[in-house]
Amino acid sequence: MSEHQSRLGDLKVGIALLWRVLISYRRIAALSIVGALIWMSMVVTVPYLVGRVIDVVVSGSGMSGVWPLLGLIILAGATQAVGISMRRYFGFKVSYRAEADLRNDIFTHIQRMAFSFHDVTSTGELMARASSDLSQLRLILAMAPITLANLVMFIVVTIVLVIIDPILGLTAALMVPALLYTSGRFASKVVGFSFDLQQRLAELSHVVEETVSGIEVVKSYGQEAQQQKRLDDKAETIYDAAMGMANQRAIYRPLFEIIPALGTVAVLSVGGLRVVDGALTFGEFVAFTQYLATLVLPLMITGWFFANLPRSAAAASRIDTLLATAPEISEPRHPEHLKPGKGEVRFNSVSFSYPDGASVLRDVNLVIPGGTSVGVVGATGSGKSTIAHLIPRFYDVAQGSITIDGIDVRELRLDELRSEVAVVFQESYLFSASIEENIRVGDPMASDERVRSAARLAKAHDFICGFADGYATVVGERGSTLSGGQRQRVSLARGVVRDPRILILDDATSSVDAIVEAEIQEALKQVMAGRTTVIIAHRTSTLALVDNVVFIEDGRVVAFGPHHELLETIPRYAEVLAAETGAAV
Amino acid sequence: MKYMSSAGDYKVDRPGRLVSRAGRIAPDLKWPFIGTIGITSVATIVRLLGPLVIKGGIDQGISKGDKQAILTATAIFVGLLVIQYFAAAISQWSVAVVGERYLVRLRSVVFSKLLRLDMGFYSRSKSGVLVSRMTSDIESLQEFASDGAVLALTNLLTVVGVAVALALVDWQMALAVFGVVGVLLGVSVIFQRQARRAYDQVRERIGRVLATLQEGITGVRVVQAFTQEVSQASTFGRVNERYFEANMAAARAISWYFPVVALLRIVALAAALGIGATRVLDGSLTIGTLVAFLLYLDWFFQPIINLSNVYNLLQSALSALAKLFELSDEPVVIDDRPGAYDFPAPVAGAVSLDGVSFSYEPGTPVLADITMAVGTGERVAIVGETGSGKSTIAKLIMRFYDPTVGTVSIDGHDLRDITERSRSDTLALIPQDGFLFAGTLRENIAYADVSASDEAVWNVLRAMGIDDWVRSLPDGLDTEVRERGGRFSSGERQLVALARAFLSDPAVIVLDEATSNLDPGTEIQVEGALRVLLAGRTSVVIAHRLRSAERADRVVMIDAGRIIAEGTHEELAERSPKYRELVEVWQRGTR
Repeated sequence: MSEHQSRLGDLKVGIALLWRVLISYRRIAALSIVGALIWMSMVVTVPYLVGRVIDVVVSGSGMSGVWPLLGLIILAGATQAVGISMRRYFGFKVSYRAEADLRNDIFTHIQRMAFSFHDVTSTGELMARASSDLSQLRLILAMAPITLANLVMFIVVTIVLVIIDPILGLTAALMVPALLYTSGRFASKVVGFSFDLQQRLAELSHVVEETVSGIEVVKSYGQEAQQQKRLDDKAETIYDAAMGMANQRAIYRPLFEIIPALGTVAVLSVGGLRVVDGALTFGEFVAFTQYLATLVLPLMITGWFFANLPRSAAAASRIDTLLATAPEISEPRHPEHLKPGKGEVRFNSVSFSYPDGASVLRDVNLVIPGGTSVGVVGATGSGKSTIAHLIPRFYDVAQGSITIDGIDVRELRLDELRSEVAVVFQESYLFSASIEENIRVGDPMASDERVRSAARLAKAHDFICGFADGYATVVGERGSTLSGGQRQRVSLARGVVRDPRILILDDATSSVDAIVEAEIQEALKQVMAGRTTVIIAHRTSTLALVDNVVFIEDGRVVAFGPHHELLETIPRYAEVLAAETGAAV
Repeated sequence: MKYMSSAGDYKVDRPGRLVSRAGRIAPDLKWPFIGTIGITSVATIVRLLGPLVIKGGIDQGISKGDKQAILTATAIFVGLLVIQYFAAAISQWSVAVVGERYLVRLRSVVFSKLLRLDMGFYSRSKSGVLVSRMTSDIESLQEFASDGAVLALTNLLTVVGVAVALALVDWQMALAVFGVVGVLLGVSVIFQRQARRAYDQVRERIGRVLATLQEGITGVRVVQAFTQEVSQASTFGRVNERYFEANMAAARAISWYFPVVALLRIVALAAALGIGATRVLDGSLTIGTLVAFLLYLDWFFQPIINLSNVYNLLQSALSALAKLFELSDEPVVIDDRPGAYDFPAPVAGAVSLDGVSFSYEPGTPVLADITMAVGTGERVAIVGETGSGKSTIAKLIMRFYDPTVGTVSIDGHDLRDITERSRSDTLALIPQDGFLFAGTLRENIAYADVSASDEAVWNVLRAMGIDDWVRSLPDGLDTEVRERGGRFSSGERQLVALARAFLSDPAVIVLDEATSNLDPGTEIQVEGALRVLLAGRTSVVIAHRLRSAERADRVVMIDAGRIIAEGTHEELAERSPKYRELVEVWQRGTR
């Protein structure tokens, strides 16, 4: 598809979405449009009345004819005010309502999309859908009613002017296309430059961010001057972009005054001559000048609207695409329920590969007896994490099946499955809420007592109590106020408090130091007792705790059995472990 | 909530003082600035002459039936428009040049201040707030410079010019109009107050919306793992709805203000028409004057509305300036003292700490009376529990901080007497997590010496035994390290950090060992590279593993800020029960 075609496609899809949105809020939208039309008709009436006043004055027939006209002008002003108020209020309401509702839709949708989607979609991209793309769409929605009224206004005014005086009318009406064209062109140029500028501002902010976060390295090597130069270079590119924009402003902005003034010049000369010839009354002449003044702002706004429409349509089409993408993991149509059991997990000839082709499992057969613990060992890229991610159905197997106590995981409702299979990830993610709330993510109904005992098991209780606010301590964005080891312990507590049938620890203690890990291992014994536990680990002290170890190489199960047995019988197992734990220095 | 603390408004106490201080940053821009005001005035005055020409055309031409006078007026008008166009264009351009040049300077000045501040400042400050000084605060000035300044200047001049013109054309009509404008000003003040409150709220709540959104995205795996989708969505829905409400509050303010302004404009028009018509009828006013007056009137209201909008931009620009100046008032603690000198060559690299005590905050000592020495070429491991103060020792040796009591010296020279440049040439820190800057692998390795040749870089890589790894990368040395948020594993980042240090060839290396395990693929490579780097150099290793302690010439054990044992690994294992405890734990982990 050529770029041009795809743009056209964007435009169609985007405008279709914009239209759907307007239709679904049609009552508010209609009120705004009615307001805009009231406003517009009064805007068109006032210059006519002013012209009538002037005619009365020039005819010398006294003030008695003027007062009623002035009364009408003020009445028109009041009506116009009502129109503006409606137009603005309901216009805002449509656009903000639509923005908020769509944002909720997007958020809910993102929450439902499977891991495979998030693996290939960056956070920034999704953020842009729900922030900048949405505001772009909102702007156009808010401007739609006034633009509609403006378009009607241009037609009405042109007709009025032509009726008053065809020659002068057509001359003056030339201003409409001239100003529309100019403002549209200006807006589209500025849009490009401001995009550029935003981009460069973002680049500069990257330099600042990395300098601040890498300040130790900068200072260690005394490279302040180098960082300064990077920043100054970025500042200079910002200058260039800003000046590019400023140059466009310098060229176009004065035109917004000059073009209407040229209209006035036309009225003065052509109109003046026609007044002298008696073809035009003086009042009509004044009305002309007033009409021109009235049109300037609506013309500029309309030009802006059409210049921004393609961008908004593109934004709308991106949002549409996101919302139209179906989650890859779907609920079963006729869900089964888990049978009572101890959590036996079976892999039946499971094959799996990621969309990018990485980390493949090939024909994996594995039985983890209920209530036992198993360690998964393999070199990086062997597929050991994948095993952990298939059980709670973060991904679906390509071939084969996985069962829990005899039921295929695809036959279970997701919430039932995941309430019985808890995963503690290697990258421990904490929400910027209190520690207590973070642990309760595992089980929102857990009592304080259970939260605390889970924290004790995860060896988190002591350091939590060391904080001034204890369990109510709010962890920063992504838990940034805690150390890596502390974060892992909080997320371990989260998994423990869920009290699942099957607990999966995906390298969940890699960031704690050896001393703390030793303590956690003590606690793990309690957690694992009588519970199916899958641990991805490479520290031998952890592997010594589990009942069995499954050794994976190249996506296949190579061996299954107790750690010490594998150590003795499989030389390659010992080799991989040595590489994993080989200490530095 | 990091993002909140930067959004709050700063009090702007003395705008005059702020502005004059702002001016001192770029004194060379003073005359261009004055020139800008000049050309803007010219553009405005020429524009204001237009209605007077029309008045002439009407009174001399149309009223008298003189076609020649109409054409003359037209010609003059066109001539004025040409001048107006160029004057206005130059004005727009020069405002931008002055403003944007100023911002380039400001960014540079603020950043250079940021770079000079010490590590103590960085550990006290939230990095998000520091970044926001250089970004959102300066950007709000940018907004003012690119749009606000032009608007402020032209609208101010227009309002004043039109007011004068109105008064000159006819003072009686002008008085009526000014009366209406008085009401408008009052109404505007009320509106501004209301709108400001509303927009403050909008800004605060969009911050929350974005933060919640981001959390919902980055934490989506945890959300799904623990089936929290519904509760997340309802949390987000609430935050989102509050943002909607704040927007609607602002919308309500706008929805009464602008209709009132439009009505006032019509009232002023009617008043001028009423008075004008009466006067034209009794012969004390020409019809041309009335028309000119009506034209001026159209130019009077919009600028006043514009100015009240600019006022908001100006306020946030001033509060941004206040925050920036607060930053530049931070004292620079670590700096070259007068008479500071470079290490005399050759540097042997003997490190010693004599009676060093240190506290980040007065009253809570982190280190107490530390005395230790590391001989030339010796490798010393510092061990101890988390929070014992061992990392602080590393930072003192790097002179990220000065000791509260005692001295840190190298080859007998107190670090405080040495220039920062010489200090950074002599010592290199390798932090726990190999930090990479955006850019290519080459730029990252040659960080300390930008001019290093490719050959020098390859020599380093070969010596460290990692040249094969680099060759296996898609673009070799030109590989971008940061594309899509870190394609390098922690071990690979560590390799780059080691190569960087090796190229800079320091006499002393301070190594803060990573607590977590590296990926097994690179672990062995890291180990090899490290051996090459440390050979023959003085090194201080903050150790987290048994093997690091075993390989050191000497081990220093820190507990609660004091040295409790010192000697070889074997000696300590024999003598110190605490050390034995530590070793036992380590052994369990790696057995």
